Amino acid sequence: MIFFENVCKFILSDLSIHIPQGKSLGLIGPSGSGKTTFLKLACGLLRPESGSVHTMRLIPEKNRRELSDMTGTFFVDIPFFQGNDTVESNFRDLKIIYRMRDDIFDKEYHALAEQLGFRSFEKETVKQLSLGQRRRAEIGATLLNRPKLLLLDEPAEGLDQTAKDSLREILKERRSEGTTVVISSHNMEEISAICERIALLDHGVLRYYGEKEHLLKNFAPYEMMEISFSGKIPDMEDLPLKSYSLNQNKLKLTYNSNYVTSAELLRHILAQTTITAVNTHKSGLSDAVSRIEKGENYELY
Amino acid sequence: MKNDTIHLMGVYTGTIMKSWFQYKVDAVLRSLAVFLREATGIIVIYFTLLKFDTLNGWDIYELLFLFSLLFLTYGVLIIFFTGLRDFGRTVRDGGFDRFILRPRGLLFQLIFSNADWFAAIGHGGLGIVLFVFSAGNVGITWNAGSVIYYITAVIGGVLIQGAIFLFLATLNIYLLETNSLKELFYWNMRKFAGYPISIFHKAIQFCMIYVVPFAFVNYFPAQYLLRKEDMAGYPSVYMYLTPAVGAVLYLVTYGFWRYSLRFYKSSGN
Repeated sequence: MIFFENVCKFILSDLSIHIPQGKSLGLIGPSGSGKTTFLKLACGLLRPESGSVHTMRLIPEKNRRELSDMTGTFFVDIPFFQGNDTVESNFRDLKIIYRMRDDIFDKEYHALAEQLGFRSFEKETVKQLSLGQRRRAEIGATLLNRPKLLLLDEPAEGLDQTAKDSLREILKERRSEGTTVVISSHNMEEISAICERIALLDHGVLRYYGEKEHLLKNFAPYEMMEISFSGKIPDMEDLPLKSYSLNQNKLKLTYNSNYVTSAELLRHILAQTTITAVNTHKSGLSDAVSRIEKGENYELY
Repeated sequence: MKNDTIHLMGVYTGTIMKSWFQYKVDAVLRSLAVFLREATGIIVIYFTLLKFDTLNGWDIYELLFLFSLLFLTYGVLIIFFTGLRDFGRTVRDGGFDRFILRPRGLLFQLIFSNADWFAAIGHGGLGIVLFVFSAGNVGITWNAGSVIYYITAVIGGVLIQGAIFLFLATLNIYLLETNSLKELFYWNMRKFAGYPISIFHKAIQFCMIYVVPFAFVNYFPAQYLLRKEDMAGYPSVYMYLTPAVGAVLYLVTYGFWRYSLRFYKSSGN
């Protein structure tokens, strides 16, 4: 779906990556690492200085019109609407721009207006809207013509929690229908909830590209479990734990989930005492990213 | 042109008109302000010229006729070419990136999503007033031939100025700031074009004919209709060339625009 071969542009250096059709990719990395440049290259807003970019087997800057017909793009620095016109009217313009049939447009527009909650201000002019309201409408406009590819640069910026949840649900639904989704974000929770693959850019270099599960397993394998018990103190001698602490009748265990599972631990403790409460915490994407950024060992996909 | 392209043109124009009618008083005042601003300039020139009988053989009505062509063509021009006049701003605020990301022609989107109706009514209105005021006093015999000539000359004049706007807009792709170039090559040249070019130094005449061909917007078309003596200094074929100059200049500039688009850099990053 997206194919970069030895691409150099601004900070991006010798970047090669292939994002297959139907995959959802989270593009992460510190500010200035080249995430927006990557997305702008993929949609043809930028041309590579060297190397080649193909998106849906097209060269983006040469096949701008065909590509933009099939791609939904969102960038925070590009105004989406005519400010003097109402939200609804801007959507009607898009209907003609994308040559949508009336019935399809009505169905999509009404569904998005409900899901993203811009129905209540659809008659207001865009310049009267707050940032959060405008973002909701802009995201809706990006999704309107059911593009095969979504390139979203920080789409949740400015959205409230309800709108973020709605966006997450819509993207999951689109992904399940086969849409390829590429999102850049600083929000690991958001990326983690939506994306199955992760690309980590650091100063223009691809530091990691692969499945999210692989990343978590290799770079964030540690889990923490807090167990409250009544009865005798369990013996934990032979278990492969990273750390172990006891405070009155509370056990705090840290362990590598690649070596021992939480179920195994619980079975072991249950055989010796009575458990009254269990609380577990898994390391997340941000832990994994932080380990990679610190230069700990990693494998390329 | 496909049907839905015409539809899209209608939508863009409708959007602009809607926002125009939404603030009726504001719209009327702004148009009036443009009209009065330009008219004041003309009134000053009018009273200055009253002190002279003629300017290189041109009397006051003939000079106003020359001005009327300038204002009329600008009035029409600005309906279609506002997007190109303000292209630098569109690039800076990211609006051009938005056009790139939509499956329609770039020039089409630029032209039809912008129209400065206030300037169009202000300038066009003044052009009509000046035309009405002068046309009956300059001895033109209006017949089918002269009316057709006049209309084609206005179209040619619009295309010439449209090409200048398109050229300056294209330069925005290479240069960060082109306002001073616009000031120099469009607005200053336009000031010269209010007068018969024969009163100026040869170098300025050369510029007005061959570099920024404003002479074809009003001077040579007015010569066709008025036949003043100072036309003897120029090939008489120039009186017939306005539509051709407009078409050729616009096509050449369009080629330059198409070629230059490959060098466009998105804003930011």
